[in-house]
Amino acid sequence: MTISVYLPAALSLLLAAISRIVVARIAPTRAVVFVIAAMLCAAAATWGLVLLAATLLGDTTLVADEALERGVQLQDPVPTLIGVTAMIALIFGIVRVARVLTVRRAMNRELRAVCGACGGGELAVVSLDAPHAFAVPGRPGRILVTRGMLTALDGDERRVVLAHERAHLQGRHHRLRAAAEVCAALNPMLIPVREAVAYLVERSADEHAATVTGSRALVARALAKAALAGGSSNRMPAWPAASMALRFTGCGVSARVAALRCDPPRPEPLVPSSVLALGVATTIAAVQATIAFYQLIYWLWPN
Amino acid sequence: MGSCGAQVVDLTSQDQQARVEQPPEQRPPRGRMAARRAAGELEAEVLAALWAADGPLTTAHVRRAVGGDLAYNTVQTILVRLYDKGLIDRVAEGRRHEYFPVKGAEELAAEQMQALLSRGRDRQAVLQRFATSLSVEDARMLRAILRRRS
Repeated sequence: MTISVYLPAALSLLLAAISRIVVARIAPTRAVVFVIAAMLCAAAATWGLVLLAATLLGDTTLVADEALERGVQLQDPVPTLIGVTAMIALIFGIVRVARVLTVRRAMNRELRAVCGACGGGELAVVSLDAPHAFAVPGRPGRILVTRGMLTALDGDERRVVLAHERAHLQGRHHRLRAAAEVCAALNPMLIPVREAVAYLVERSADEHAATVTGSRALVARALAKAALAGGSSNRMPAWPAASMALRFTGCGVSARVAALRCDPPRPEPLVPSSVLALGVATTIAAVQATIAFYQLIYWLWPN
Repeated sequence: MGSCGAQVVDLTSQDQQARVEQPPEQRPPRGRMAARRAAGELEAEVLAALWAADGPLTTAHVRRAVGGDLAYNTVQTILVRLYDKGLIDRVAEGRRHEYFPVKGAEELAAEQMQALLSRGRDRQAVLQRFATSLSVEDARMLRAILRRRS
């Protein structure tokens, strides 16, 4: 089989490698570009796995007998080991996707249950001291905050939190994040892209809040205060993997605060298009691999 | 808050209609969407201020706690609206009212939230947090920024 079947994987690695640079240069509202590129990469890489796994068919007696009957020389396009590995990777990917989706659904259901217990209205407040704020998607979307978050901030800063969470709901950011998570589940090479999308979505909501409140400094202050109010409860030393992923893309609160204290991001049109080009390239590679595979099995169904 | 003046006019003139508003599930017609949303946003701000307070607040106190440059009447209108919706309650304090948030199934909500926050890593990753983990040096940096501001 041609090299094109492995290309999507290589291009996924490339996309992951450049995600850190791209995050610093892309406009936060363009997170969708990353998601599209990641979806193309994930789809192409998964299809590549399907093709590789399908070469195992050559080893089945059914195909082998058929080949013998027609006097066709069967050559193994890829080593059996690669075919088996692809099959296992495929199964793992599907299991991970199922898990991501069930966890998402379960968490959202629980968040909505908490909102429901808090009463009606857009804003749901829980009497907890730890400062937290969440956008809870649904119809209608709701904002869930703890009392600790509200008491840690003044009136203007509370408006920042509300505007930030509303930006998540209005921009349907949960869908972008879910899509990026599914991609990373299918193709773990895309995990940095998932983190990049999560960061961009937060940045986008920060910028929206800055537009609504009219002050980027105010948003930076609210963010810093909220993060500091969390103290140890907001730190996550128990999960080294999570903090490592955060460090990799540099997408902590401090990076967001730093971004808000600089000038507003200037759009660089070349950056999103190059990310998209990468996605398109993987798609072309996948098509090429499919053609190669078709040529391989052509003798089975000549008509 | 450049558009604040417009909101004030809108709210007070629509006060009568506001009582017979359709439930929030029904989408209002497009033209009035902007004004309605602005009112909803203010409701959330006032409610948040009441929750953040240590005790019941008068309208004047709410106005100060919300910040910005809201008119007294606007705050009053929103308080009445929140009261009508059953989201806040009030006690008579002399000739004025003092308002405080109605705490729904408070214990249940806090319990559920606590459980939700103590879930495993992959569940936490799903949560879209306003502010996430802080390393020691990050915390130091943020503190320095806040100190410089104030």
